[in-house]
Amino acid sequence: MVDNGVVTAAPEDGPRLSGVIRPTARRFAEVVCPPEVRADHRTERVLREFGLMLGALPSAARKALTTALILLDQGARVYPPARGRRFARLDDRTAEAYIRALLARRDAAAEMVQRLKGVVTMCYYDLPEVQREIGFDPAPYIAAVSRRRLETYGPQIRAGEAVVTERLPEPGLPEPGLPEPEGLPEPGLP
Amino acid sequence: MSAPSGLTSQAEITGDLNLECGVVVVGSGAGGATVAAELAEAGVDVIVLEEGGYHPTGSFTAETGRALRTLYRDGGGGMAIGRPSVLFAEGRCVGGSTVVNGGMSWRTPTQVLDRWAGQEGVLAISEKDLDPYFARAEALHSVGLQDPETIGRDSELFKAGADAKGWNIVPNRRNQLHCAGTNSCTTGCPTGAKRSMLVTSVPRALSRGARLFADCRVDRVTRSGPAVTGITGHVVRPGGRKGPAITVRARTVIVAGGAIQTPALLLRSGLRSASGELGRNLSLHPNAMVTAFFDEDVTGWHGVHQAFQIREFAAEGLLLTAVNLSPTMLAGILPAYGRELGAQMADYNRIVTAGPLVTDTGTGRVRNVPGVGPQVFYSLAERDAARVVRGVELTAEALFAAGARRVLLPFDGAPEVRSPGELRRLLARPVPRRSIQLYSIHLMGTARMSEDLRRGVTGSFGEFHGVGGLFVTDASLFPGPIGINPMETVIALALRNARRLIERRDRLGF
Repeated sequence: MVDNGVVTAAPEDGPRLSGVIRPTARRFAEVVCPPEVRADHRTERVLREFGLMLGALPSAARKALTTALILLDQGARVYPPARGRRFARLDDRTAEAYIRALLARRDAAAEMVQRLKGVVTMCYYDLPEVQREIGFDPAPYIAAVSRRRLETYGPQIRAGEAVVTERLPEPGLPEPGLPEPEGLPEPGLP
Repeated sequence: MSAPSGLTSQAEITGDLNLECGVVVVGSGAGGATVAAELAEAGVDVIVLEEGGYHPTGSFTAETGRALRTLYRDGGGGMAIGRPSVLFAEGRCVGGSTVVNGGMSWRTPTQVLDRWAGQEGVLAISEKDLDPYFARAEALHSVGLQDPETIGRDSELFKAGADAKGWNIVPNRRNQLHCAGTNSCTTGCPTGAKRSMLVTSVPRALSRGARLFADCRVDRVTRSGPAVTGITGHVVRPGGRKGPAITVRARTVIVAGGAIQTPALLLRSGLRSASGELGRNLSLHPNAMVTAFFDEDVTGWHGVHQAFQIREFAAEGLLLTAVNLSPTMLAGILPAYGRELGAQMADYNRIVTAGPLVTDTGTGRVRNVPGVGPQVFYSLAERDAARVVRGVELTAEALFAAGARRVLLPFDGAPEVRSPGELRRLLARPVPRRSIQLYSIHLMGTARMSEDLRRGVTGSFGEFHGVGGLFVTDASLFPGPIGINPMETVIALALRNARRLIERRDRLGF
């Protein structure tokens, strides 16, 4: 059960975004993610992640978010500066202003857009190169501290793991050799 | 990475399963795995059914999105509907939520146990009654304090803030065996140092002869007259597709699916409690997140997840903690977008995230909605909203005291705050309840214990009132919120209830 924790996981297979919502999701990602989303085909990978996340949601939530994207797209037609165009066809400035206007409403529509924004930006910041750009690169760190752990505490770890398959004394009976609990709660807790 | 002996996953199941055993356990988290291991150790023929998949330690990475999709129910995107709605997360994998929690291991506060005994009608629940079970839980899961070299800078700053304010702050007790401080608790511990059920009670149960079926969803508890006869369910194929049917015949069924799935299963099985409380009385320890920016490099992902808790305001029902979030999670909760989000996230390594956890007085409900499934409804009480706001203010004060230059508050539309004075002026005005961004990972109370049939769903040892052979053992049992991380309480109750079952096994027929 002891390992060094550096694992490269296999790519996941998962659902792809339908052609109906894909252009809207793409435009939405371009607005809510930082401008660098347009570099190096990142938008494509954000959409792939978004498809995987939608696939993990319960069907009701998936349908709600999908419907929200469709409404977001078509709702732009009644946003005066859009001059009848759907969201997916708006220029950058108008698309951004439209999203800003929706979020400012503080109603159910704003909540849904905020939720969508949360999921899409999560997908963007889940991309490894984006994480590295902001200084988050956990694999080497995990490998280093995992090694330190084994070098420093190897025998204690093996002894502790052996507890899993040992037969411990029953509750209420003396338990020789068990460690004393550390840091027990103090009086005065709720 | 082959599965241990006794564990079967969906790929190995090609046709309908018809099984028989002494006890069938639904769920392999803190409650289910514990009770299964205890019963198996006593020689009972046990089958455990887990809806989620088997993901061994060696498969864990720091990839948040992948973890959300594979280890969490619904991608971690559960939502309690209310004003405001509360986002919550439940584990769904072999080992349950213990695979993705922070590993905080605290005994139930004495005052809580006294209340359960004195006001809620629960027997044999005093500190003295539970002490041996807490001790056993702590020994089985290596509960203790962190090795000092694993404390990260974010935790140090949080402690420095508390110390500067003169507040009581305590180091967390965690179920860890010389934790390496990888800060990967919520994506699955990549070293196995966190002693989740995956690496403790599950292998213990299997080594004693229990059989565990992963990727198996239980649809119904079956009955004949006033007694249970087992369960029916189905295999879950990749993508959630429905696979072969499962039938398990057993005279004892133990449901341990957590405070959302347990009542949902019992309700869709047609069970009702005389008290009317099944699915009601949901507490969820709402919490909110303050994001603080420092001038110095914090690199909060170097070091253990949540090293300390501020206990100064425990009497008000507030715990304050610092929790490092991965970039994926942080981006999901920050309200900014576009270029502004990029600017905030560029400071990722100078950010500390912290917030209050509130002992809530309001309650919610779990219902099965046709076509939707289990749905949670929860309305934040005015009093609890005020506590959240106070907790946010105190958290921000501690972060400013530690040197934060600016903080973002978890209230829709709130401006960035650059000093304690600005904070006080801003919060002198009422904060609309619906504007608070809330999260939960502690779900409790939907099958509450009480000997009083008008009040409880189950008796003092988890026995479902009025249905022979049916037991609950998870946080659903709690009569109310406990104001502290619930895992150790769930484990201790499961150990205690398992002992009771073993003592009565002849009568129960297994």
